[in-house]
Order: sequence, then C-alpha cells, then structure tokens
Amino acid sequence: MTRSLALPAIALASALFLLAQAPTPASPPNPANQATVHAANGDHVVTIAHQNGLTYFAADETMAALGGSVTRDGNGFKAALNNTVAAFGTDSRFGVVKDDLIEMPVPPITIDNRPYVPWQFFQGFLIRSSALDASWDPAARVLQIRPAQTTAVGVQVSVANVQGISKVVVTLTAPADYTIVKEAGAYTVRFRNAVHPPYVEQTHEDPYVARTSFIGNDLRIQLTAPDVVGDAYRLENPFRIVLDLRKGAASGPGTPQPVISTRPVESPGIHTIVIDPGHGGKEVGAIGPAGLMEKDATLSLCRRLATALEAKLKTRVVLTRNDDTVVPLDQRTAIANQYHADLFLSVHMNAAIVKGAHGAETYFLSLDASDKLAEKAAELENASKNAAPAASSDLKLMLWDLAQQEYLNESSRLAQAVQEEMNRITGIQSRGVKQAPFKVLVGATMPAALVEVAFITNPDEESKIKSDAFQATVVEALTKAVERYKIDYETRIGIAQPPPAAPATTAPAAPTTTTKATSTRTGT
Amino acid sequence: MRRAVLLSLAILAIVGGCTKKRELTPNLNVENKVQVRPVTLFFEGPEMLLVRETRNVGLPENPAGALSQVARELLKGSANAGVPHIFPRDTVVRAAFLLPDGTAFIDLGGPTLSQGWGTGSHEELMAVYSVVQTVTTNFPEAKRVRILVNDEPAETLAGHVNLSRALLPRMEFVAR
Repeated sequence: MTRSLALPAIALASALFLLAQAPTPASPPNPANQATVHAANGDHVVTIAHQNGLTYFAADETMAALGGSVTRDGNGFKAALNNTVAAFGTDSRFGVVKDDLIEMPVPPITIDNRPYVPWQFFQGFLIRSSALDASWDPAARVLQIRPAQTTAVGVQVSVANVQGISKVVVTLTAPADYTIVKEAGAYTVRFRNAVHPPYVEQTHEDPYVARTSFIGNDLRIQLTAPDVVGDAYRLENPFRIVLDLRKGAASGPGTPQPVISTRPVESPGIHTIVIDPGHGGKEVGAIGPAGLMEKDATLSLCRRLATALEAKLKTRVVLTRNDDTVVPLDQRTAIANQYHADLFLSVHMNAAIVKGAHGAETYFLSLDASDKLAEKAAELENASKNAAPAASSDLKLMLWDLAQQEYLNESSRLAQAVQEEMNRITGIQSRGVKQAPFKVLVGATMPAALVEVAFITNPDEESKIKSDAFQATVVEALTKAVERYKIDYETRIGIAQPPPAAPATTAPAAPTTTTKATSTRTGT
Repeated sequence: MRRAVLLSLAILAIVGGCTKKRELTPNLNVENKVQVRPVTLFFEGPEMLLVRETRNVGLPENPAGALSQVARELLKGSANAGVPHIFPRDTVVRAAFLLPDGTAFIDLGGPTLSQGWGTGSHEELMAVYSVVQTVTTNFPEAKRVRILVNDEPAETLAGHVNLSRALLPRMEFVAR
C-alpha cells in the first residue's frame, strides 16, 4: 500500500492543532477499544484491546504517538525511540533494551498481525529511552506520560580507603544525569535531578576525603589536600558514581606536606573464616552413581574442616549452613560480609558427563560479566603494585563488584594455595586453578575461592569422597592451604614472620573459636 | 469543535494505521527464505573442553529466526553418538533475541531446568559456554549472551554459573 506522506502530515498537523484547542486533555469519552495517550506533545487516541481482563495497547499507534515506531524483526518486533531500540515478542513477557529487561505482566499479543502490549512495556521502555514515566488510569482510559523522576532520587554516599585509593561511592535509587566539577580542594557532583540527601554534612576519617555535604542538588566532596586528584566512573545496577581519589604528582623537596589523618586499623590479619558447604536442602547438587549427594558430602566435609581450622589456626570459623537447608547463593557471601570475614572458601564436588573425569580444581571469580569492570580491575591491579598492602579486615567496602576486584589478586593466591595443597596432600590429580563467573563468589568482600574436591560422578572418586580417610586428607589439605595463605598474607602486611611459629607478642588477640550455623548467630 | 477533533483523530488513526501496517507486514519472500548454511556448534569433547562441530543447517534470512534455530540445533546434541549431551535432554529453546547493542538473549526451558538441575560446576560451565560460544561464533554481531530460564532472569542453571549478567565468550573453555 503506497500513500503520499503529505496526507498524514496534514492530518497530523490538523489533529495537533485541533487538539491544542481541546478543552481538557483526558476528557474525550473514548469507545471501549480506544484510549488516550496524554503526553507532552498532546493527546493521542490509540487502539486498545482486551483479553482475559487485561488491556493491551496497539504498540505501533502508541509508539507513533510518542514519536517512535515499531517494526517487525524476525519472529518478534522492535520498538524504536530516541535511538533506543527495544525488542519484544509474543512468546515472552520480557522485552529487552540495552542489556536490560522490560517486565510485563503477560506477553504481548498480535491482532491482525499487529503487536499489542501491556502498558508496562511503555513504562519500562520510556524510562530507559527518554527519562519518561508512564502510568495507566483504566477508569479514564488514559495512558499518562510524564517526565520520570519527578520525585527526588535517593542518594547514599560511602567513603573508604582501599590500598591507598579513597573511593567515594555515590549510590542512587535511579539513573540520573550529573556532571562532576573540580574545584580547589574539592569535587562537586552536580545532579540535574532533585536528590534526597541522606545528610547535610558528614566528616570522614579518610586520608583524602575530609567531609561530604549536600547543598541543593550538589554533593560537595571536600578533600584533605589540594593535590588530591581523582578519576570518576559510573556503574550500573544499581546506578553508582565512583570517584577514586589519590595523591597527585609528587611534591617537590621542601613542599609542606598536609597532615593526613589515618583510619584506625582494626587488628589486621586473618581472624574470621567463612566455610561454605555447597548446595543444601532441595538443591542437592550433583549425585554420584551410587547415590551420594553433593550437598551431604560437602556438609560432612565442611564440618570437619571447621573444627580443624579452629583447632589449628585459632581463628573463628563460620559455616554458611550447618544442616540440610537451602541457603541462597547471594546470602552465602552476605553471611561472610556480615561477619567481616577475612577469607571465604566454598566447597563443592564436581560433575562431568565425560566418563573417567577425575581430579580437583579450584576457582576464583572472573570478571568477564562486565567489560568496564574488567578494565577497572586491571587499572586497580596496576595501581596496587605501588601501594602498600592493606589489611583485609581494614577494607571496609561498600560495593560488591568493586570489592571483589580489590581481592582478585588475593583470591588468586588463596586458590593457588588450595589447589597445590590438595594435590600435594591428597594426591588427587590437579586440574588447576581457574577463573569462572560463579554466583557464590560474586559480592564477597574478602579473598574468596571455590574448591571442587573431586568428581562425584566418577565411581572411584565417589567412593573416596565417602571414605573417612579421604575426607581426613582433604581436611588436612584445606587446613594447610588456609594456614599457608594466612601466614603468607600476614607476613606480607608485616604482622607475622615467615616461620609459622610467630612470636606471641606480634600475634593478634585471641579470637573466639566457636563454630555455629549462621541461623543461630547474629552479626559481630 | 469536538466533532472536528474526533474527525481529525479518525483520519489520523486510519492514515497512521495504514502507514504503520506497511512496516509491520513481513516481506514473505525474505522472511520465509531459508538458506542452508554451515554452522559451528560447541559440544564437550573427551578433553573436557568444548570442541567445534560443523553441520549444514537451513536457516531463515532474518538473524533472530536464525539465532533460535542455531540454539535449537545445539540442543539436539552432537551428530557423533559418542559425544554425550551437555544439557539435560528435556531442555528446550523457548525464544531468542538479538539486540542491536550485541546482546543475544537465549530463553531456555524444560522440566529439568525448571525443577532444578543437579550437576556440578564443570558440567554447568560446559553447558553455559556451549551456548555462549555457539551464539557468538555463528553471529559475529552477538558480542555477549544472556541466558534466561522459562522467560525469567535466572540466577544460575544449576547453582554455580552467574547468569544475572550477559556472558562474554571465553576461549579457555574451548579446546585449541
């Protein structure tokens, strides 16, 4: 069907003109199959449909009313607005835009080969493409479009010094436009949206950040010295602005040095270890050919390991579970964070479809989930080469993914120690140290590793896993690995000497040595 | 005045509807055209790494249709009967999308994945990255892959590999 563009243009112009003369925006009594889209550019009548008590909007008409378009794309459709494209189809209640999901209560439908979507599609799409929000009034049959974030955006500010770099992390409840202005002795984050400040002014015991204060929609970060310089970057999910502050160019001889307050160090060293028995409850994990369940094998092993670690290292050991219960993956690392643990070790049994698979392997987190984070990790890694090592218990991090980056080097060392001792003491074949994006390692604010003790799917190794003797050697190997890492770490930060038997005068205060399931513990 | 408004809106709706309908009407000659192309699929080899297997598959011209077709081909398993299935046999591809920013979405389903797949880290890594490598190898415009389960964002397939973000291809899981 070919039509001149002049006709729709004239019709659009006349309609918009006449709409401008209309008395009220939402007043036309639409028939049941019509709704009004009330937007900044005027009111537009669009077709709606009803199925199973739900209302669907003709996607093409509604997007056109908003200044966008809809086209067919393979088996689905594409909606475009302001150079942002969302894909959706009738087989999913999720649309996708910018690597994010638009959630709808039900999948879109097609009528006469045209897509109809629930109004929530526009709500999800507009916020990401145009900073607009949508709400649906079913009684008046009006889809109201208005600027998003008419209510103020919530803000939280955290400051922490990590390996010589002070991190100011500004976490927002929604994405916001901002600029960062460098002034003498201060940085100002200037938000275009209204913000809800958590406080008016707060002082910080930080080498580079003296205080933070909110003035209107500005966040002012007052520095301790004029030669402190920073790099800013942004992270998503949740939306965060991160400002890394460090000393600028070296001062010349004779230059007066500013007085820098240092944070008190909270007894550096390895004092609390969290051991995570993999799986649990209905999440049984892998099952061996003789029926041994991974969840049972890991729990049995981890209980013995906790006892051994307490006895040998005089550290506090916490199990993420001490019975046959489901513990969500993110809760496992949250437990470690809650206890301010200095080390996290998740214990699993492996599975493979390849016959004869055998051996142990140890993982630490890979960062490939985010290109930008990986890039940042490399920067931090380089930066840390010239920085004095810091005590893990002194690392008070506010940001899961960033925090994990800080510990990649340490996690790698821990994983190496675990793998080597497993191979040396148990004699099991080493499948090496590897990196993978394992969920249970995401968010740990301490060195973290996951050991796959053996292949439960291999009949020989399943028998071994069940045997008391093998479990004893695994416990010995893991205890030795943690001890080795502890000594190595504490030696590097200067609180222990290379031989394991360090003088008592330099040892940290005796910690508690209880082992309990987290469900019975409160935070320290 | 109100009559004029409604008349104009009616004209606008009719004209606009016709105009948009032209965009939405598929070009059947293009949409339905199937071309046999070689595709590279990744299965777990005896070295416990992913190995390539090439086969000719009839694929629709449009990338979204081809994407789901290739993913379904992967789940059929290797042509070599000696190569075991990585995914549970009841796994299905429910849908596939490819976004302009290079993120491919693969929505998986099936009884085992729905009820909780009990397997170990290695097998889950092989399964996840067989999808990631297959998609990114056959569709250069796909830079990363996000896996959904039953139309929902999934935490993991079997308790290990983080699926809450799109995954980049990783050659260390592929045999050289």
